[in-house]
Amino acid sequence: MEWMQWGVTGRFRLRPLTAYWPDAVFILCVAGLFYGLAGFEKQITANLRPAFDIDLSPWALPKYALYSLARGLAAYGISLAFTLLYGYWAAKDERAGSVLVPLLDILQSIPVLGFMPGVVLALIALFPRSNVGLELACIIMIFTGQAWNMTFGFYHSLRSLSPEQRDAAAVFRFNWWQKLRWVELPSAATGLVWNSMMSMAGGWFFLMISEAFMLGKKDYRLPGLGSYMSVAVDKGDYAAMTWAVLAMIAIIVALDQLLWRPLTVWVRRYRLEEGGGEPETDSSWFLDWLTSLKLLKAAVSALHQIMLHTPKRPARRAAAPMNGAAGRWLVPGLRGFLFAAVIAVLGYAAVQLAALVGELGMADWKTVWYSAFLTFLRVFAVLLAGTLWTLPAGILIGRSAAALRFLQPVVQIAASFPAPMLFPVMVALFIWLHLSLGWGSILLMLLGSQWYILFNVIGAAAAVPADLKEATVSFRLSGWRQFTALYVPAVFPALVTGWVTAAGGAWNASIVAEKVNYGEQPLATDGIGALISQSAERGDFHTLAASIMVMAAVVVLLNRVVWDRLAGLAQERYSLGK
Amino acid sequence: MNKDNNGTILCAAVGISHEFPKPEGNRLKVLDDINLQIRSGEVVALLGPSGCGKSTILRILAGLIKPAAGEVRTHGEKLAGLNKGAAIVFQGFALYPWMTVSENIEVVLRSTGYPAAEIDARVQETVRMVGLTGFEDAYPRELSGGMKQRVGIARAIAVKPELLFMDEPFSQVDALTAESLRAEVLDIWEMAGANPQSILMVSHDIKEVVYMADRIIVLGAHPGRVRTVVENKMPRPRDYRSAEFQRLMERLHDIISGHEMPDVAVEPAMPPSFIEPLPNCSAGEIVGLMEYLDARGGTADVFQISVDTRSEFGQIITIVKGAEMLDLVDTPKRLVALTPVGRMFIKASPEERKNVWRGQMLQLNLFRTIKDLIDKHPEQAISKELVQEIIVMHMPFENYEPLFDNLIRWGRYGNLFSYDETSETISRPDTPA
Repeated sequence: MEWMQWGVTGRFRLRPLTAYWPDAVFILCVAGLFYGLAGFEKQITANLRPAFDIDLSPWALPKYALYSLARGLAAYGISLAFTLLYGYWAAKDERAGSVLVPLLDILQSIPVLGFMPGVVLALIALFPRSNVGLELACIIMIFTGQAWNMTFGFYHSLRSLSPEQRDAAAVFRFNWWQKLRWVELPSAATGLVWNSMMSMAGGWFFLMISEAFMLGKKDYRLPGLGSYMSVAVDKGDYAAMTWAVLAMIAIIVALDQLLWRPLTVWVRRYRLEEGGGEPETDSSWFLDWLTSLKLLKAAVSALHQIMLHTPKRPARRAAAPMNGAAGRWLVPGLRGFLFAAVIAVLGYAAVQLAALVGELGMADWKTVWYSAFLTFLRVFAVLLAGTLWTLPAGILIGRSAAALRFLQPVVQIAASFPAPMLFPVMVALFIWLHLSLGWGSILLMLLGSQWYILFNVIGAAAAVPADLKEATVSFRLSGWRQFTALYVPAVFPALVTGWVTAAGGAWNASIVAEKVNYGEQPLATDGIGALISQSAERGDFHTLAASIMVMAAVVVLLNRVVWDRLAGLAQERYSLGK
Repeated sequence: MNKDNNGTILCAAVGISHEFPKPEGNRLKVLDDINLQIRSGEVVALLGPSGCGKSTILRILAGLIKPAAGEVRTHGEKLAGLNKGAAIVFQGFALYPWMTVSENIEVVLRSTGYPAAEIDARVQETVRMVGLTGFEDAYPRELSGGMKQRVGIARAIAVKPELLFMDEPFSQVDALTAESLRAEVLDIWEMAGANPQSILMVSHDIKEVVYMADRIIVLGAHPGRVRTVVENKMPRPRDYRSAEFQRLMERLHDIISGHEMPDVAVEPAMPPSFIEPLPNCSAGEIVGLMEYLDARGGTADVFQISVDTRSEFGQIITIVKGAEMLDLVDTPKRLVALTPVGRMFIKASPEERKNVWRGQMLQLNLFRTIKDLIDKHPEQAISKELVQEIIVMHMPFENYEPLFDNLIRWGRYGNLFSYDETSETISRPDTPA
């Protein structure tokens, strides 16, 4: 038991006290974090005050930023729990999976405002006196921007376990819990960490809406970075906007350095074989520092031992696992009950939706579909414009090792930054240029979704095998021919993946891009996104429900009809991994 | 054999048949009426070409797959669920890359309910048995293929299974290491005390099964069935170069090749308008075989070819079969010889070779049918679907996808037709000869 050597006795006494300063710093940090969270707890249990008065002084900002960070992390915790439960259930229970997987596809295509009214009204009704309901509503709204792609990723890792690994777990009689701990979670770990990074960015995207929103003439506002920004925008306070942007960047950089980078380095121990597809992260100073802590080392190896060596259940039960009559009906019974519950909830939701939507007239439907068509054209324009600059740029970055090392972290930060925080500046620019929001919104949507394309192109260009590159050079292909003959086809599958994600992001972004709060009067143009945010503000749930349904339907339909086929073609024709 | 060989039947397959569903709905029969027994104290090998369902039999006996018909009996009782007396050594190792060597062994001891207090000692003992001492804390990715498979073996014997199943255990290990591992597995088995009592191994390597097995069950393919059982009473340790060893190897070759090579007829019971199933080998491989033969005076032993070219024996047989279908070689017994056409082919220029190839292809019903269809079609082109339909109609037991791909490769080589992958059409060649 190696970790015992690092226990409190023995080694601790032998070293000079100064050797433990990193541990001291660590303990201080943890204590500080708890203190900060205690302040947050006060805010949560305070009396319900729908619209908190935001203090625009920069000195109030650190506290707001911490509140937002705490919400983001809490939402992430829920997303992770949801991912593990939902993904596991969908992967293991064939019957449930046939409903849960398409359902996830639909949930993924519903924008955050689609969940807002129900969640907010229900939770405020549940906690009428304190801020708990509003806080929970905000966290759940952030959660809806995070959870789905993590869940999809986990589901796919569980399903793609190799047949031999499956057989080995069966032959050596791992029970479900052992299989999960020893086989399934470790093999899903890498994907889970990378998806978590993306999800966190997705959660920040709607921070401004999640923390400050109008619902049927009522103004809700929670103290936080997002609401600070929205108030600053309303008042046209450019200094405060700049501070908020800086604070957001600080949060993203801190999370990257203190959480994601250490995790991506650490999770490499769980990679399946050498040379996986993910970009290699070389090192993390924070992880190095953490691993130099004696206290933490002891804790981690203790945890590792617990993971591996949970006390075995008594042998009698192992010999007869759920053999009794109870075992035979308990698990299937529970499953059946849960399945029935899901179906019932879905059925109820469908009936409610139908009732809401049923009151709309022919003219209303026409508006909804016309708006959806306009937004569809914008999404298409976003992909076109995004590809025009990201394809060459991504190839140039991915091709050169130096540019890759320097620019990839920058791109990663840029991609995590919630674009809506930059919209006010852009809108000011549009007004100055006399550009209407009808066209301008394309640029706004582009601002948020182009990164997905760039990211994927860079990754694929960096992964082009060296011998192919050498061949192109040795046959003296010109720069242009190198692009068309080697790089564009080689990155094509990744480009399609980028398009799918970017299109999803663009549909979502239309909600904040087609109707922008700017100073006193909000700017708006025709489109399904504007329709959604306006109807939510007016409290017109009929139009809201209809437009969200139409948007989700269009997104799912496009996925099935266009993207899946294109991805199949790309995989078959241009895949380098054969 | 030092093992207690009292002849108790530990595990038996009784009339087992199995099918796999095909994507378009109908079923593919992979095993047909398999009967075999594993007695205590013996090493049994399943030998056969790829596609004969060897690994499926092993998984059925292990209780991982439920057979479509028939039953598995362990100690005379019908097996329901997992065969708890068996542990498997996997072809691809199936180790956990995030666990060290000792942790990999430790977890299976935990999951199978080994007494907790004895686990550490048992891990050390097995590590020593397979010669991994010093590697206890290494991760699988730090080990070579041979060392990885030692971990796989250690993991399987650690739980003291009555039966040790090995699924092509050395096929992903380099040749020299495989040789020493074979001897070591037998040593471990003989020294291991009561368990594992018997070994069942799956292999396509004749030398390997003659070296290791007491009984060799030779399987045929499409669908898999037991062709014959060969007893091997040679004392251990066996000498690869002994006359007895060589004789048994030759006998097994004759059994396999006499049947697998189209010496008699391709398929005797075919309907009159039959269509030949193309063996799964490329034109390049056939040309390679011809060059090989030409460089050795036109004749060679099929076993020698496999050794010289370091190819799997089954694949060599497939290539020979392909060449013989085109009448480029003849196969008297175990020999492969160039035919006059074959000699002409090999002496020709690359362009002329294509002409010979095309001419020989058109002797086959399959290619003649396709050429007729193309010629008769107004656009001189037919769809992939149509060709696949012909294949499925005439050869319901063949897997039509690889067969179609292969047909395209042969046809392209002979410039008989061209194929457009995007529109999935087969048409006349762009530059007709």
